[in-house]
Amino acid sequence: MPKKYHIAIQPTPLNRDFVSKFKIVRGENCINCGKCTKVCIYEAHRRGAKDPRKIDEPHMALCRNCFRCIQECPRGALVKSLDPDFSALGGSYWKPDMLLSIWKQAEDGKVPVSGAGYRGPFTGPGFDGMWTDMSEIVRPTRDGIHGREYISTAVDLGRKLNHLTFDDTGNISSKIHQTVDLPIPIIFDIPACTLSPNVTAACVMAAESAGTFAMMPAADITADIKKYANSIIPLVSHEKSTAYQTMISSARLVAIEYAPALLYDFDSVKESIKKMSQAVTIVRIPAMTGIEDAVATLARSGAEVIHIVSDYRGMEAPGLRQRFVKEVIRAVHLRLIEERIRDEVTIIVSGGIAMAEHVPKAIICGADLTAVDIPLLIALGALLYEEPEKTLTLPDGLEKMPVATASQRIVNLIGAWHSQLLEVMGAMGIREVRRLRGETGRAIFFDEIDKDTFGKLFHQREMTSI
Amino acid sequence: MKPSTVVIKPMPSRFKHQVPKYKVTRSDACINCGMCAKSCPYGVHERIEGHNRMRPPIDYKCIGYECRKNDEFYCVYQCPRKALSLSLNPMYETLGDCRWTSDMIIATWIMAETGYPPERTDIGYQIGNSEGGFDKLRLKFPENPPKVERDEISTEIRLNRRNDGRADVLISTPLYGGGMSFGSVSLPTMLSKAHNAKIWNTFTCTGEGGYPEMLYPYDDHVITQVATGLFGVREETIQRVKIVEFKYAQGAKPGLGGHLLGEKNTESVSRMREAVQGTSLFSPFPFHSVYSIEDHKKHIDWIKEMNPKALVSVKVSTPNDVDMVAVGSYYAGAHIIHIDGGYGGTGAAPDIAKKNIAMPIEYAIPKVHNFLKDEGARDAVTLIASGGIRTAHDLVKAICLGADGAVIGTAELVALECVRCGNCESGRGCARGIASTDSELADLFDEQWATQRIVNLYHAWNFQLVEILQKFGMKSVSELVGRTDLLEHVDYS
Repeated sequence: MPKKYHIAIQPTPLNRDFVSKFKIVRGENCINCGKCTKVCIYEAHRRGAKDPRKIDEPHMALCRNCFRCIQECPRGALVKSLDPDFSALGGSYWKPDMLLSIWKQAEDGKVPVSGAGYRGPFTGPGFDGMWTDMSEIVRPTRDGIHGREYISTAVDLGRKLNHLTFDDTGNISSKIHQTVDLPIPIIFDIPACTLSPNVTAACVMAAESAGTFAMMPAADITADIKKYANSIIPLVSHEKSTAYQTMISSARLVAIEYAPALLYDFDSVKESIKKMSQAVTIVRIPAMTGIEDAVATLARSGAEVIHIVSDYRGMEAPGLRQRFVKEVIRAVHLRLIEERIRDEVTIIVSGGIAMAEHVPKAIICGADLTAVDIPLLIALGALLYEEPEKTLTLPDGLEKMPVATASQRIVNLIGAWHSQLLEVMGAMGIREVRRLRGETGRAIFFDEIDKDTFGKLFHQREMTSI
Repeated sequence: MKPSTVVIKPMPSRFKHQVPKYKVTRSDACINCGMCAKSCPYGVHERIEGHNRMRPPIDYKCIGYECRKNDEFYCVYQCPRKALSLSLNPMYETLGDCRWTSDMIIATWIMAETGYPPERTDIGYQIGNSEGGFDKLRLKFPENPPKVERDEISTEIRLNRRNDGRADVLISTPLYGGGMSFGSVSLPTMLSKAHNAKIWNTFTCTGEGGYPEMLYPYDDHVITQVATGLFGVREETIQRVKIVEFKYAQGAKPGLGGHLLGEKNTESVSRMREAVQGTSLFSPFPFHSVYSIEDHKKHIDWIKEMNPKALVSVKVSTPNDVDMVAVGSYYAGAHIIHIDGGYGGTGAAPDIAKKNIAMPIEYAIPKVHNFLKDEGARDAVTLIASGGIRTAHDLVKAICLGADGAVIGTAELVALECVRCGNCESGRGCARGIASTDSELADLFDEQWATQRIVNLYHAWNFQLVEILQKFGMKSVSELVGRTDLLEHVDYS
């Protein structure tokens, strides 16, 4: 049996708090009776270490919102509210709770579990407008928790043949293309912002440890991370590729920045890369109006892997109508199917991949795999704000964080996402993530089911007499 | 109509303070004249006998802005120094979420305390804020309904419609308690649920994990569950009860098996489950002996053979093919099809499962109802819905969409003052003693208090149900089944 894929998670708390959802203020009428220290089972209230006659300020990172202290304080002296620093985080796409969840997963590498039912809205824009499906009896392919070891999350990147041809003697005459295998459908797309060397190093080290790749501009690949060259995808522009010849020659995957010129002459660009190296090429193209045409053209002219990049909230570039990445992927996927070339090319999608569930959902919509960007930094304590404009605030002292610590936190996050991918695949009865691609039959789309159910029931109906 | 065993008694909160919706602020201009304490009938203001200064206002007792109309005692107007002001309390936002809003939680607490829906009109408890499903459906009342007296109205439903010679089980209100296993909730919680079921002539369910002896006095009102792990299932437990339920999946985590952590598998739990103490116990998914409707029938036959009186309920979650599963269960011989929607409650489930797997119950009910109807089987089976039924209004909407009745879980726990903080499984378990087996925490309330709170809640729901039936001019809740014409959806037509 081949070695099992395993992501080595390890609890890695940092010596700092992230953000707290709640704030509790101790009023002046507190009599330091200590009732709160007795009723709080999470130890958010403690007596002062220096002066035990006084109760400390509440330790909000420990508060789990159980309301016991609020309801049992004999003087009603505790006042809780939403912490404005928490509410100001993120925005319409990146909900503050998502950031908190990423932080926690980076800390312990575990699947977030909680009690009580789902708390969020019924449906929502983007990926929130779909549910994954499962089956009760009729698809005997699942095996719950025990079946997990049989679920494969591996994908391969590269060009695939539509069919094989054989010569007269019965030998294969088709040339089999080279592919790169990944154990998880996730690569890292290191965010384009000024990062200290330890953070970049942590990203590539984590990529290596998880058995995947980190994509970054070739110009940023410094000598200290060259030892991870096997896990780095250098990103170059097609004109300047020769400047990075040595780097490209040892790479297994090379990404080329999209330029309209590629549409007319992809062959020669690919040729020039192939002269330098065995690497499989990726074309990194921004999501924009007409992307399905561009992708189809590239695929027809021999592109091996196409990476569609939407903005940080999963939107394509402003155009006539701006679609969310879910719609973009579906359009691209369907176009390639119509042209009967879907299986020949690999599609990577990134932008707005913020939660574990976005990975299977993007794949159901038609991507082969996803690239994750901003969560890599949130795992290290970065704060993201959407308003008034996109701002990513890196935590103080990040440049001093040991590479091993930072890397382990990223590994933990990916480990947690991998486990969650197994959870939903198990529920869907899908044993291979490759078979999930474009499998919209394993999803329920809000727009469709709502119209199908309530649209039929309520559209211009007359009330019948009682 | 409520059974004669139901007696409503006020059962106040076990905590000193409630969560306040408003904030009453007293400024420095206050001269401690005591006017406010004299005029406020709700007890917001207080000055202890012999004290010079007023106590800080007791916010949670305040009824808020609707008090403005009470010229004679609204404190903000009454204060001679205009020292008092009223605002929304920021604390209120920290309670609840868009499915169970703070108003809904507070209203459920009031119902559990008094047995009636809140008299205050400032609490919007009939719909949540999830912006979909039940929260977008409204009841459409006719202008001149036939006149019906309250005591003419029946809320009873039949659970056996197969005409197969088995018991004709009736429940007095179209509602019963969901499965919560021994160990997942505290003993007073489990017992109070069962006791309430007896008082209300309805049912509660053991969940997976055995049939504790303490439930024996309530045998006739207990549904015992046969789930995929078959934990605690014995011939004797199956023969004890009137209804046996097969649990295929749970709405909150469909397609995933249950998992009892080793440390929770204590001596008593392991004895009940007939397992080795301290080992982690997995319930697989699915039943490893059921891969077809024929296999399923074999299971049902097995239960029917073992207990010739029992009705069989089949609990499934809501995938796209739930309609087919329901019809299959009917042909396999089930009396009750219990569908559990994706947004249902749980003691612990991966967040990714709770949010994403399977469809909300609002879509599944009409899907199953219509499919059974087309198959000519609807009249021969009882359709029960669960997974996000939070209020009496949700119950009515579920019935209008095609269910015969509903199962509730979270609402019963909220009656016991659950705040839905979601920490049921972490560490020592529920901080409020509802879902914990921690020796200290499980003692935070007694069974008597809990039973009365749940009885009161069921009464408040039944009261609202009767009121709604009256507005529709109906004499029985069974007339409401499938009446989607009595609903409207804010997004359509």
